[in-house]
Amino acid sequence: MNELISNLSLGFGVAASMQNLGLAFMGCLVGTLIGVLPGVGPIATIAMLLPITFGLDPVGALIMLAGIYYGAQYGGSTTAILVNIPGEATSVVTTLDGHQMARQGRAGVALGIAAIGSFFAGTVATVIIAALGAPLTKLALIFGPAEYFSLMVMGLVFAVVLARGSILKAVSMIFLGVLLSTVGTDLETGQERMTFGLQFLTDGIDFAVLAMGVFGVAEILRNLENTETRDVVRQAIGRLLPNRDDFRQAGPSVVRGTFIGAILGILPGNGAVLGPFASYTIEKKIAKDPSRFGRGAIEGVAGPESANNAGAQTSFIPLLTLGIPPNAVMALMVGAMTIHGIVPGPQVMTRNPDLFWGMIASMWIGNLMLLIINLPMVGMWVRLLKVPYHLMFPAILMFCCIGIYSINSLPTDVMFIGVFGLLGYLLIKFGFEPAPLLLGFVLGKLLEENLRRALILSRGSLETFIDRPVSAGLLLVAIVLLALALLPSIRKGRDEVFTE
Amino acid sequence: MSQERVRERRGLVRSSQNLAAGLFLVFIAALALWLTGDLPQGRLGAMGPGMLPDWLAYAVGLCGLALAGSGLLKEGDSLEAWGLRGPFFVILAVVAFAVTIRPFSLGPLVIPGLGMIVAGPLAIVIGGYATSEAQFRPLLVLALGLTPFCMVLFGDLLNLPIPIFPQALADLLPATWSQKAILRLLAALMVLAAAAMHLSDRGRKSRKIDVVRQPEEI
Repeated sequence: MNELISNLSLGFGVAASMQNLGLAFMGCLVGTLIGVLPGVGPIATIAMLLPITFGLDPVGALIMLAGIYYGAQYGGSTTAILVNIPGEATSVVTTLDGHQMARQGRAGVALGIAAIGSFFAGTVATVIIAALGAPLTKLALIFGPAEYFSLMVMGLVFAVVLARGSILKAVSMIFLGVLLSTVGTDLETGQERMTFGLQFLTDGIDFAVLAMGVFGVAEILRNLENTETRDVVRQAIGRLLPNRDDFRQAGPSVVRGTFIGAILGILPGNGAVLGPFASYTIEKKIAKDPSRFGRGAIEGVAGPESANNAGAQTSFIPLLTLGIPPNAVMALMVGAMTIHGIVPGPQVMTRNPDLFWGMIASMWIGNLMLLIINLPMVGMWVRLLKVPYHLMFPAILMFCCIGIYSINSLPTDVMFIGVFGLLGYLLIKFGFEPAPLLLGFVLGKLLEENLRRALILSRGSLETFIDRPVSAGLLLVAIVLLALALLPSIRKGRDEVFTE
Repeated sequence: MSQERVRERRGLVRSSQNLAAGLFLVFIAALALWLTGDLPQGRLGAMGPGMLPDWLAYAVGLCGLALAGSGLLKEGDSLEAWGLRGPFFVILAVVAFAVTIRPFSLGPLVIPGLGMIVAGPLAIVIGGYATSEAQFRPLLVLALGLTPFCMVLFGDLLNLPIPIFPQALADLLPATWSQKAILRLLAALMVLAAAAMHLSDRGRKSRKIDVVRQPEEI
């Protein structure tokens, strides 16, 4: 306990420096600014804003990125409530009751309770991360290559199970992502693989380029076919602060949502996505009058939004303790950390304690800032929503180009976001989801490294993955999960969860 | 509705989306196998560089075959219509940015480095034509307004090594002017031009806007 407090105070010491506070503020602000644009989710936002953190020191850069992440998340909820467009899968549930509240002139209260619930969830999640960080890191230190390999396989299976749509398609995307990650120079033998003899491919496909192409440019191409003309409506936001009755109704939902989201967020393979759905389902089940849901029930906003934020935050745990990104956003974080020369994993906490604890403390600070900046600035975000898409996407496109150019100063990188944009567009047209592809890509290198290492250690015997108990256990979980997901009855239930 | 159903069932292809997706994966797998063909495979105990990519390519190919098969056997979505205009202009805009941001030469084609001041507006204006609602003037106003913002943000505040304006321009101006001074002056001029154009356009504003429609399946 004492250790926890001293660690946290170290973290707050780092995060509360003037410069880092400023960076957290800037991150939240620009994150919300971009995230609030309809059709731009957190992944595209982070990919686009990644370069602006490159000039900073690693601690500052990660603090700013975390700020951007929370800002983008909150921006997604804002569009969900105000214009019924979820920024990403996790704010889909918010549209159900949030937008209804907005229609009844209670948009302000919905935004307010979302921000306050998120702040509470963020506070609890910060403590959970701080408390679980150290023990889980110790666990990670006993992991060998075989265990790492099995854990990543389990994470990928999770991602498959949780992806929307066809399981076969999700599996294909994972394989394709891992395959893409093998492009470039082989680390052990130095031989070039699948580079077409092109010089800029020898270092492999740049992660930011792939993410920007698949989530930035491809998203634009898809949205271009999905626009509609709509009258500019002036919506009354109403008062922002919920009154005592609202708090009494929403309070318990916030607490429940926080814990549901926090627990699901720890699961590798994007468990955070389930949080809001689970929370909404539970709130509806235990409500005295379930018929209010879908008609502007404040619990239907408070619970899922808290779960969303708690999960968004605890999904840092697999990354910070084991070095394994559980979802596409965390995959982007890995990219950012590698650019700053930090290899995510258990050693981060011992080697860079100021970075580790500073980032955890900045999560809380970021949440506080969101509360402070967003409520007064809601009016400005609403104005942004009125920018027509035919003017917005050229701007996004230019930001993508400038952003990706400034990473490596390579014009070929810019062209490649076009290439991957087309690839992403193709994949969307073929009914594939790009998120598992990105996860496979990021885990790919680690996966290959650990597989080869494990097999060298075992002199080529595949039994090493079954002989070692931890590895066998993880693989067993993976197999059971996959089998369950393929069972027809569970599959039906899974589809229902995602369509509700 | 029912007639459509019947026709669908009679055809060989039940889900053109899955069939196309499967064939696409098979193509990728074949490409990867061809590319890794001459790489040593190694043994399990000492894997060569070609082993894992090959396994993965087979896995992707098998998934592709299964998908293509399901496209023939099982009902599913058919391929949506393809927009050509969107991808064409968006890719063109990206390429235009890439070749103008710094000196570029490809065979006989030589483009001097024009910097962000040219590449940015080019990307916006060309990209803007990806939708049929594109109008030149609003796009130009947007380009003139946003580019200076990016110039100041990336070139001045963040100090990123990104070319801002053509070197030829700096040579024309007095040598005592610093790069940053020129950058700020150019940015200010562009903002003024954008503001002037925007004000003169004011009366013609329409009250309709286009927004992204909510995806239905989520």
